[in-house]
Amino acid sequence: MFELLFKYPYTVYQKGSLVLQTGWSVWWWVAATVLAAAVVGWLLFTKWNNGKRAKAIVLWTLQSTMIAIVLLLLWQPGMSIATLKPQQNIVAVLLDDSKSMGLAEDGSTRREEMIKTLEGGLADGLKKKFQVRYYKMGARLERTADWKGLTAQAPVSRLSDGLAQIAAESASLPIGALIVMSDGGDTAGGVDRQTLATLRSRRFPVHTIGYGRERAEKDIALMDVQTPARALADSRLGVTVSFQQRGFAGQKAKIVVSENGKTLTARDVTLAADGAPQVENLLFNAGNAGPKTVQVAVQTLNGETNTGNNALTRLVQVDSRKPRVLYIEGEPRWEFKFIRRALEEDRSINLVTLLRTTQNKIYRQGINTPTELEGGFPSTLDELFAFEGVIIGNVEANYFTPTQVELLQQFVDRRGGGLLFLGGRTTLADGGYGASPLAELLPVNPGERRTTFQRDRATVELTTAGRESIYARLEEDPTKNVERWKKLPYLADFQAAGTLKPGAVVLAEAITEKKGRLPLWIIQNYGRGRTAVLATSGTWRWQMSQPLEDKSHEVFWQQLSRWLVGATPGRVVAAMTRTVFSDERTIPLRAEVRNKQYLPLTDAKVEARISGPGGVAATVELQPDPVSPGVFLGEWGAEKPGSYLVEMYATRAGEEVGRDTVSFRREDGVSEAFHSEQDKETLERLSTQTGGRYWKPDEVKKLPEEITYSEAGITTREVKDLWNIPIVFLVLALLRGSEWMLRRKWGAV
Amino acid sequence: MRKFRPLIIALLLGLTVWTALYAQRRMRRGMDFPFQESEDQPTPNDADEKTEFAFARLKYPNWKSNDRMWSMRGSWSIDYPKADRQFVQGVRRLSRLHVRSVEQVVDLESDEIFNWPWIYAVEAGHWDLTDAQCKKLREYLLKGGFIMTDDFHGSMEWDIFMLSMKRVFPDREMVDIPNKDPIFQVVYDLDKRFQVPGIVNYPFDQTYEYDGVKDTWRGIYDDKGRLMVGACHNMDLGDAWEWADSPQYPERYASLAYRIGINYIIYAMSH
Repeated sequence: MFELLFKYPYTVYQKGSLVLQTGWSVWWWVAATVLAAAVVGWLLFTKWNNGKRAKAIVLWTLQSTMIAIVLLLLWQPGMSIATLKPQQNIVAVLLDDSKSMGLAEDGSTRREEMIKTLEGGLADGLKKKFQVRYYKMGARLERTADWKGLTAQAPVSRLSDGLAQIAAESASLPIGALIVMSDGGDTAGGVDRQTLATLRSRRFPVHTIGYGRERAEKDIALMDVQTPARALADSRLGVTVSFQQRGFAGQKAKIVVSENGKTLTARDVTLAADGAPQVENLLFNAGNAGPKTVQVAVQTLNGETNTGNNALTRLVQVDSRKPRVLYIEGEPRWEFKFIRRALEEDRSINLVTLLRTTQNKIYRQGINTPTELEGGFPSTLDELFAFEGVIIGNVEANYFTPTQVELLQQFVDRRGGGLLFLGGRTTLADGGYGASPLAELLPVNPGERRTTFQRDRATVELTTAGRESIYARLEEDPTKNVERWKKLPYLADFQAAGTLKPGAVVLAEAITEKKGRLPLWIIQNYGRGRTAVLATSGTWRWQMSQPLEDKSHEVFWQQLSRWLVGATPGRVVAAMTRTVFSDERTIPLRAEVRNKQYLPLTDAKVEARISGPGGVAATVELQPDPVSPGVFLGEWGAEKPGSYLVEMYATRAGEEVGRDTVSFRREDGVSEAFHSEQDKETLERLSTQTGGRYWKPDEVKKLPEEITYSEAGITTREVKDLWNIPIVFLVLALLRGSEWMLRRKWGAV
Repeated sequence: MRKFRPLIIALLLGLTVWTALYAQRRMRRGMDFPFQESEDQPTPNDADEKTEFAFARLKYPNWKSNDRMWSMRGSWSIDYPKADRQFVQGVRRLSRLHVRSVEQVVDLESDEIFNWPWIYAVEAGHWDLTDAQCKKLREYLLKGGFIMTDDFHGSMEWDIFMLSMKRVFPDREMVDIPNKDPIFQVVYDLDKRFQVPGIVNYPFDQTYEYDGVKDTWRGIYDDKGRLMVGACHNMDLGDAWEWADSPQYPERYASLAYRIGINYIIYAMSH
């Protein structure tokens, strides 16, 4: 329709500029128009001056407009536009050859649809005007004679790399335009800014032709799976599964978390509305130490068009370390005994306890040597930093020396340790913490009131944050978990912990008869570590007052101790940006190294010792990051897909500083099955930002003509006459016809 | 028959003389016996204080015997409440434990016992637990409770004690507690223990009762090597606590009894 009225494609008007071919000044046209309008006005208003002024104005407007247009045509207006010289320019056609192009929809694959487009006239149309080069777009961009060699088997489509390669080639080739025929699924990260900037600077219009359904009819697609990258053995791990579906709303599906085919956990879920993102949280046990390859899958349902996007793999490094937790208790308490018992059953936690039995005696348990902690609570950095978590029971604030208080602060802030304060008759506010520097470490302001501890019963309820916290899970199912907490026997005592500090989070509240609801379990991050208050010493009733087989008490304390020490770093911390690298070969390596005082160590030698599938072994020396002290960076190319183990090993002056192990997984082709719907948005954005256009396959007949108007390559500038475009005559006819109609109506013919 | 007459007369005469002499001895002892039991103990002012620990005395059903005298001897309330209250005064003074000044009587009928993870059973050689009580005691101990038994003597009372205990733990052995066990080290080093006599042994020229010549320290362990049962056999720690304030009761026995009691409590609260 546009071309019918305006004679030329829209691109001509979009890209071209208006010129007056006579070379006469536009001001002459303005003056002539004004003069003509004045004459017409004088004639009209002298004749129609008796109460017909309004009608005269209408007629004057119509006539003046028509005269202005006719006069403009005398000036010979035209559109000046750059056009590609016929057969002197190259049009590069990038053909997506990745696996997703092999997906079948309505009886044919996307690849077949693409070939149909090319053979249906596009190839011939292009050939008539340009030299055409075809490229297969997969992991690499490969030149190909035509489309016959397409297999739709490439594990990945690197659109960005392909465009960057073409841009580089254009330095020596007269490339006039690019055509990308794809479903838009760049599984390697999308078009980067630099490539886009290069394309724009070269003025390449990128025309995109999209294939594949924009919305799948029947599909369940995993969008993301999140698991912790590392965990202690036997830890309860959370896995967050994000997915969406179309065509199965309201139906049941099963989410299965498995390792080597063995189901770790599973849950039936009801599928949400079409296209609505759905997030489910599952728990599973980390099990033994070592790298764990976890597959998370949503069960395939009947009629699903793409079953390749139902599963994702994640790697969890289960640490073999057994963190040491130091628990000091100010007096014999049942809580002490039952915490010890709960943690004794945990093979991943090494509990060391100090119990002040009498005024002058401290009973030590779990010590490594007879002399360890002989002097009581650690007074030196070496002694305290040997632990990863500290629990302070019913110990009054002034029991700790100023040195010990400072050490505790450094333990959390610098060492990254976890510190837990329990409630008791001589701790928190009742123990003088409100007036002690230890208050700085608490997630609450304890105040200075001394009657906050009550030996009265209190039940426990999880808060919203507690319901979501993995550490508060006694049951895997969130709803059952809330109920289980409500059914726990009452606590033997409780303490009003104080007012919350900014950033503190309450995971559980105590429901008391006289004091109402009180924060019971409060956590916060502090420096590199974390601190918490559990304002009771009465959880032991959960052990004594429940059936023997009930494990609530043990699970609670084991979970809490994992919160305490699970994230406590060692002197060397290896880190990966993620655990699974899909279709990426370059693996970034990062290690953070600290000295004995846990201050950044800059002069260490750090090596990454990598072992992988098929006996792959490599050693990469990491270099200090000039910006971040103590951080060492490196890169390594992982060619083979599979699981890799990386041991970061740091030495200084020939002595070992520490070592840490991480794992990652390389995958090829898996991600192609994801985002299998046509990514029209990406294709449209690419074409819009480069001056091209997004095309549907059935619209491409005009593409060769449109490509002609490009400023890249070898061009010539031409002027398209506008005097003879149909719209001008239509407007003139409308103006004249309107005047005639009005004159007849007003009886003034 | 005639020829036995002198022998019968001699026996009757001997019995008469012995009876007269025995009666005189009992009378003399009753007049000089310094340990007069009394249940009329004043209630301390802080009896209602809510504390971490209370001395929980187990109330149990008695063994029925044809021997009326023997049957009358033992019961759960022997030394009650003076021994309990006097002992906790020592616990308060000698440890950091927050202890209630008065005892708590518990039984194996209700679930209240689960609020008191340490219990004391006196004269356990006279108990006769029902099957339901055995089951509850087993559950209590496996969950983390601890029972200390005391003041039972000789093989007969041991056997009766074990009749119930075997029904509590049919699959666990009662074993001698080695000296190196933490229960003998947790607060006081108690490697050198000796028999603590009851007041029945006054004036303590003999420290044992019946055939219980040697003090025995036995117990039952759980699967993780922690003591659940501490059986103090052939000794009377309860009497030692009760009469620690008496000048007639030797200090060395009372001191040991306090140390043993404190060790058993602190052990139960730390293992």
